Amino acid sequence: MPSYKLYYFNVRSRAEVSRLIFAAAGEKYEDVRYEQDEWPAHKDEMPLGQIPVLEVDGVKLPQSRTIARYLAKQFHLAGKDNFEQAKVDAVVDTIYDLLNAFATPFFEKDEAKKEELTKKFLSEELPKHLQNFETLGKLYGNGGHFFVDNQLTWADLLFYNYIQSFMEFKADCLNNFPWLQQNRAEVEKQPKIAEYLKNRPNLQF
Amino acid sequence: MSSSTIYSLHYFNGRGRAEATRLIFAQAGQKFEDLRHTQDEWAKLKGQMPLGQIPVLEFDGEKLPQSLAIARYAARKTKLAGKDDLESAKCDVIVDTMQEVNEAYYHAWFHIKDAQQKETEQTKFKSDTLPQKLTGLETLMNKFGNGTWAVGDNVTWADLLVFDSIQNVLKIDDQALEKHATLKKNHEAVKKLPNIAAYLANRKETAF
Repeated sequence: MPSYKLYYFNVRSRAEVSRLIFAAAGEKYEDVRYEQDEWPAHKDEMPLGQIPVLEVDGVKLPQSRTIARYLAKQFHLAGKDNFEQAKVDAVVDTIYDLLNAFATPFFEKDEAKKEELTKKFLSEELPKHLQNFETLGKLYGNGGHFFVDNQLTWADLLFYNYIQSFMEFKADCLNNFPWLQQNRAEVEKQPKIAEYLKNRPNLQF
Repeated sequence: MSSSTIYSLHYFNGRGRAEATRLIFAQAGQKFEDLRHTQDEWAKLKGQMPLGQIPVLEFDGEKLPQSLAIARYAARKTKLAGKDDLESAKCDVIVDTMQEVNEAYYHAWFHIKDAQQKETEQTKFKSDTLPQKLTGLETLMNKFGNGTWAVGDNVTWADLLVFDSIQNVLKIDDQALEKHATLKKNHEAVKKLPNIAAYLANRKETAF
């Protein structure tokens, strides 16, 4: 059995999908959470000077998307064959496209401009992205409510985590997307996920 | 890959987000339909693609969007994704890091319309983003590879995607690899792969 150590800050953000994967799989790992003032002392220990990093049997892997894909593969949450894994990857990449699009308003320094851009994004851009997710779910979901082949994969867990953050900004953003609402409900219902969600620290992002 | 299945790669007439997959197919000697759509053709096809975007890999009645999902699928099929899951993950780390450079490049060179902002972003790319990421890639190749190949002892899709991306980088700064011995050696090694050399010799120059 390999030993896993996940290094990140004490936030959800880029590591939460991996924590959800461990939880869904019922697998143990060391969940290292650095405080902001602790991090500088450890920066040079990480290959790219960034976290999250997954250490597996002494090998350090940076890049949150890669970490999640690797863990999902180990725990059978990545899709059952190459093509299913590719469909999962396509959903995942579409989620990251949404995050990258939101970066512009999110990182705007001028407060007034930020508020304006964020409002515009949430009302005009976000629905287009959400429509894309519904399209993929209906195309690949094989009639079920998980994104790929009617089975839980890390695509569902990634979507669950990041839409939670968007719902902090706009609580009703999924109102016109029943399939997506159902998808999140299915994730929350999984017993090991429900247990994890009940016990995890309450973090805003 | 199955010999009876026809793989059609839909994109525009350019390297862009499809070239990594074309290089993977070339290295593997895998036949595919290299569809290069004009803007008019694309306007008619757009509604048929899952996300209204290309590249899309079409085969057996299925359509797969997202350039990296396509490339990784092709790499796994043609055994260019490392010898086990950990090597595959190391390929993905290098790909993700190179892709950060690519996205910053697309943003600063193609997405921004405001001239002042464009200049600021391009300067930032050349002075901050690019040097930092190339140093990171050099570190990763030294950790994961054998001094020639990015991961392990053989060519993988990480080498091919990096090769394609570095071609854009060299257009911006032709000295970019001089500080990075492993990246430079890796770049030369990819060029010398027989199937890649043949592919590059026949490849027509495109605008992007």
